[in-house]
Amino acid sequence: MSAPIRLYMSMSLDGFIAGPDDRTGQELGRDGGRLFNWLDDRMSDGPSGQVYREALATGAVISGRRTFELAGRWQGDHHDGVPILVLTHHVDDGDVPPGSAQFVTDVADCAERARAGAGDRAVMMHGAGAAQALLRAGLLDEMEIHLVQVLLGGGRRLFDALGPDHTELELVRVLEARDVTHLRYRVRRRP
Amino acid sequence: MSRLVLYMSMSLDGFIAGPGDTKENPLGTEGDRLHEWLGHGGGDVGGFRPGDEPGRTVFDELMSTGAVVTGRRTGEFVDYWGGDHHDGVPIFVPTHRAPAGPLPGDVRFVADGIASCVAQAKTAAGDRDVLLHGAYTAQECLRARVLDVLEIQLVPLLLGQGRRLFDGLGPEHIELERVRALESPAALHLRYEVRYP
Repeated sequence: MSAPIRLYMSMSLDGFIAGPDDRTGQELGRDGGRLFNWLDDRMSDGPSGQVYREALATGAVISGRRTFELAGRWQGDHHDGVPILVLTHHVDDGDVPPGSAQFVTDVADCAERARAGAGDRAVMMHGAGAAQALLRAGLLDEMEIHLVQVLLGGGRRLFDALGPDHTELELVRVLEARDVTHLRYRVRRRP
Repeated sequence: MSRLVLYMSMSLDGFIAGPGDTKENPLGTEGDRLHEWLGHGGGDVGGFRPGDEPGRTVFDELMSTGAVVTGRRTGEFVDYWGGDHHDGVPIFVPTHRAPAGPLPGDVRFVADGIASCVAQAKTAAGDRDVLLHGAYTAQECLRARVLDVLEIQLVPLLLGQGRRLFDGLGPEHIELERVRALESPAALHLRYEVRYP
């Protein structure tokens, strides 16, 4: 099997990945920064450090358009100059993304180019909308959910309107860290 | 000291029942998948017992609680377990309007608020914990700051649609502290204590 496409997302126990009213200038929504406190431990030898190092060892990035723009397009370099595939519905004429980023409008094409770019390394994926698109297309292999011990109460959900087909998962790793539980799931292919 | 403990099985995408949950089909479409960790018992609660050690640990704790608080919707769906959830402990139901007819067993309707309902259940339970069931009632308890512990059976499944456990809680954060995580293929049992500001 080729290297997996793995979604990395911080989520509150009640399912939110950003607070209410996420927009430019308030990228994580109101109080959404709470979901990323665990990154204070990203340089530690503990599990949060381990998960962070694994994320930065990926060989390509897939991002939704919204996430890409909210992140200031990462100035064209997410980490180590690996390819960034940005899944979007529409590309304006003359809008060329910076650095190693490129726009892709087809979900299968996006996954294929990311895998090719990553070689034998995993592909990191960001963004709720794009994740749902890959899930629906059966192209998402794994999820690393940083389950944060808070009820945010409102905001943007990671899983919304996936539709009536349910998706079976397999829990393959649990890492308990300060403030967060890192859960790795493998997505089971539908028979 | 008695604590109010919410026991709910939830999919990773936050659902506790599939769509179309009715009295005839209390867990909704595909929702029974959420309760597979309980094993396959008979018609009553006591007929179940999970097949793995983490599941049994949680289940045995649940079955040793000294009172039950359930939402009216959940209660009516299951006919209040015939008046006996387990060991004949009293079942408390917060409600705005108590039903006219008598109910079997020890089912008590409490109309003077959720905090009072929980206080009465804790008194009845003595030094044992109180079991809480029901999404809406759990949200009421969180808003009233009377829910002490969340015991979530996180099922490795994206249900896609249905009834959510946490919905419309409002803008205030509620901090939790993970005190236990028990892993099994059927469900990850996460226990959180609620830390109100």
